[in-house]
Amino acid sequence: MKVLFSTLSLLFLAGCVLGQTKISGKITDQKGVAMPGANIFIKDTYDGVSSDENGNFSFVTNETGKHVLNFQAMGYKSQEREIECTGQPIRYQITLAESINILTAVTITAGAMEASDVKKAVVLKPLDIVTTSGAMGDITAAMLTLPGTSTVGNDGRLFVRGGDASETSIFIDGLQVGNAYGSTATNVPTRNRFSANLFKGSFFSTGGYSAEYGQALSSALSLNTIDLPLRNQGDLSIMSLGGGYTQTWVGEKDALMASANYYNLAPYQSLVNQKFDWEKSPVSWDSEVALKHKWGKAGFIKAYGHTEGNSMTIWQKNAGEPGRGDRVHINNRYSYGNLSFRQTGKNDWSFYGGLAYSHNRDAINLNQEPIRQINQVGHAKVVAVKDLGPQFSLKNGLEWYLKSYSEALVADHLKRDIRDNQFNHFVEADYYFSNRLIFRGGLRSGYSTAAKQFWIDPRASLAYKLNNQGQFSIAAGRFHQLPDEKLRVLQTDLKNAEASHYILNYFITSNNRTLRAEAFYKTYENLATYKGTDQAPVAIAQKGSGYARGADLFYRDKTTLKGTDFWITYSFVDSKRRYAIYESKIQPSFAPKHNGSVVVKHFVSALKSQLGTSWSWNSGYTYNDPNLAGEMKGKTKAYSDLSISWSYLPRPNVILHAACSNILGRNNVFGYKYAGQVDETGTFSGIPVGQGATRMVFVGLFITFSKDKNANQLNNL
Amino acid sequence: MKKLILTIAFVYCAVLSVLAQDSPYQKAMKKEISNLEKADSLSKFQQSANAFARISQLNPGAWQPYYYGALAYIYQGLDGSLSLHKKDEALAKAEELIKKADVISPNNSEIVTLEGFKVMAEVSADPGSRGQSLSGAVMYNFGKALSIDPKNPRATVLMGQMEYGTAKFFHSGTEKACGLVKKSQTLFEEQPVETLTASLLPTWGGSLAGRLAKACQ
Repeated sequence: MKVLFSTLSLLFLAGCVLGQTKISGKITDQKGVAMPGANIFIKDTYDGVSSDENGNFSFVTNETGKHVLNFQAMGYKSQEREIECTGQPIRYQITLAESINILTAVTITAGAMEASDVKKAVVLKPLDIVTTSGAMGDITAAMLTLPGTSTVGNDGRLFVRGGDASETSIFIDGLQVGNAYGSTATNVPTRNRFSANLFKGSFFSTGGYSAEYGQALSSALSLNTIDLPLRNQGDLSIMSLGGGYTQTWVGEKDALMASANYYNLAPYQSLVNQKFDWEKSPVSWDSEVALKHKWGKAGFIKAYGHTEGNSMTIWQKNAGEPGRGDRVHINNRYSYGNLSFRQTGKNDWSFYGGLAYSHNRDAINLNQEPIRQINQVGHAKVVAVKDLGPQFSLKNGLEWYLKSYSEALVADHLKRDIRDNQFNHFVEADYYFSNRLIFRGGLRSGYSTAAKQFWIDPRASLAYKLNNQGQFSIAAGRFHQLPDEKLRVLQTDLKNAEASHYILNYFITSNNRTLRAEAFYKTYENLATYKGTDQAPVAIAQKGSGYARGADLFYRDKTTLKGTDFWITYSFVDSKRRYAIYESKIQPSFAPKHNGSVVVKHFVSALKSQLGTSWSWNSGYTYNDPNLAGEMKGKTKAYSDLSISWSYLPRPNVILHAACSNILGRNNVFGYKYAGQVDETGTFSGIPVGQGATRMVFVGLFITFSKDKNANQLNNL
Repeated sequence: MKKLILTIAFVYCAVLSVLAQDSPYQKAMKKEISNLEKADSLSKFQQSANAFARISQLNPGAWQPYYYGALAYIYQGLDGSLSLHKKDEALAKAEELIKKADVISPNNSEIVTLEGFKVMAEVSADPGSRGQSLSGAVMYNFGKALSIDPKNPRATVLMGQMEYGTAKFFHSGTEKACGLVKKSQTLFEEQPVETLTASLLPTWGGSLAGRLAKACQ
């Protein structure tokens, strides 16, 4: 006994002298699964170890006295334990709880389609927008290959889920863009004014979107400009329709991009037979300046200016009348300026916002009668975001819009205008219950001085990630939008139209395959209705209402076929509304029931080429045939367009791009125009509204000059 | 003048004391750097990353622990057995550490090279969809690293590797790529390894140059 005691005390003494304490234990996650690779260490010392593949750890320290033992692992919340090193072994059984990891956590995908290089749950990469065959470099045209959209070939704008084009709002760096599409004559398709190479990504919502966006009944398209370009370079483009040059200068913290382009369709249209009766083919020029400044460690200030001019003269035949019909001359001047910032503050605050202004002037001569229309949109916005811990963030924003529109009959000195100030506040909270479940709730309020109306829109969404990579999201919300300015100018106190969205979404992306399925239901109230005609409305009221319901499907696959990337889209829309001159609920012309598209891209290494094709289809447009009883009883045959493109890269910095739309030469009809009076046979005679030309052929050469000989303009195609 | 002499004296003393005896920091760093060089599995890389994290929490003002920690995560991000998701998680961790190192030592050719290496790992995790948009950023970083230190062998060999991939893709000649690899081999030979090791500066990359040189033949 004595011997044992002295041995023990000796051992104890030895321990004291050497001061060595053994620390060991086991680390598991909340499910009890052993966690390898966790970091266990005594704070403010070098003593520590990683857990082994069974979650076990063990190390010895020479420290004595009180210390803090720290347990860390990637993706888990750290834990600390106070220990006292006395030479006695210390053992811990630690369970680490998962931390919220924005990189891997669930995201809300209901209604949303993101194009990004860095984010997850994306359906497109920014590059896809510009390499999609048939899009011809137009951002909007690329978006039309996504689910929830309808191609309206005689318009060219974005039509989303039974909504008309004005129901989609477009933003650049969070700030509204007024008149984002080029001015054009009726039934002559337009394009988005902004070049795809300005943007690093986009967020396209077909419904149920965040409280950050308002005055859009159907959809929001938010485009984000690139931060700092990589290098000094010059980009030259020589195209069948014109040419341009962009120069980029990059400094340590600043960058400047300046570009100028000129397009003239006359040479092309003199070579290729046109169906439209052009007196003067469209001619346009534009110039842009973008300035980027890195502000501190994480902040940015960006300034962007864009100005352009274009003109065209076209003759448009009237049904039942001989001759060339109406002569429409349009001269458009457009300028847009945008100043935006973002900055991270102290204590988990961050801020962003800016100012934007657009001015659009259309000088139109309709059969020599001069008309002048001026739109102005000013937008100021500031948003503060506070992160209250890793799972909760709160966003608060204030906005002010100035919208004005005037139209004048120049010869008669007649002018009318409307000026509206709108004030908005929005608040939105994101709460992660876990990495699998997120809730977003928001409230947007607004006031319009012209409408003298105050409104509140609640929005909410929820997403839940399943055990595999798949996830479900739901979203619902209310949306307000004031009627078109051409009606408001006639009756300035028109109130908001209202829409409600309900969306159920399933999204899965795994191993380069993406599947997205969505069902939606949308209701409309207070839509503008009037008597007379669309050109001369009278007795404007807001008695219209309607609905849109349906489902869409998107599948993208980059792996099954070697070297081939393809996506397939199908959208079903069942929509009826009473609006405009219609007395009953009808299916609008811009809402075909079945819509589909297939996009294929294939890289052929041996040819140094990317070959692309896209097919766009819908089941036909409704139109109002006065010869038939009832409203909107006519329906065109199905629309179909098969396009191909070929990008050849003889050298990394040189791209030769050729594309052709509608290679099958299908004669697509978008509707019919009818005479105002019956002819001698007692019927209203009609003429089809069709394509400007059977096919559109595009050839372009793009050369990049820079020190990095591999840089090219693939981004611009 | 007096200030200069004092400074020289100070630097001399500092150097002397460094030469005289390794601090616990240096001891720990040297051990872990050599462990990282020997590491050949995911768990070893994670152990290494953890070790550098432990050193960082004691020496938050030194960029090297962040640098090597990031390198250990980049190696994980290059591991073919991981899912894209896991690779991105490791590379995001690397990015976080590189940012910390860059704040302590801005315009450091080695840190800029590491940033390029990280982006390169991001590209190789999903080349089909990231190649076009990110390879510019890779070349930009290596180019910037070489403009700061034209003799950086790591920036040179990684640039060579990138050029090699591009040349293969475009079916063009590999002369430029192989020229860079060859140049990097000379630079690796000229590296004053002992001095660098003593100041805890990077020396890795020689074996990569060797492998690429073989592919070039």
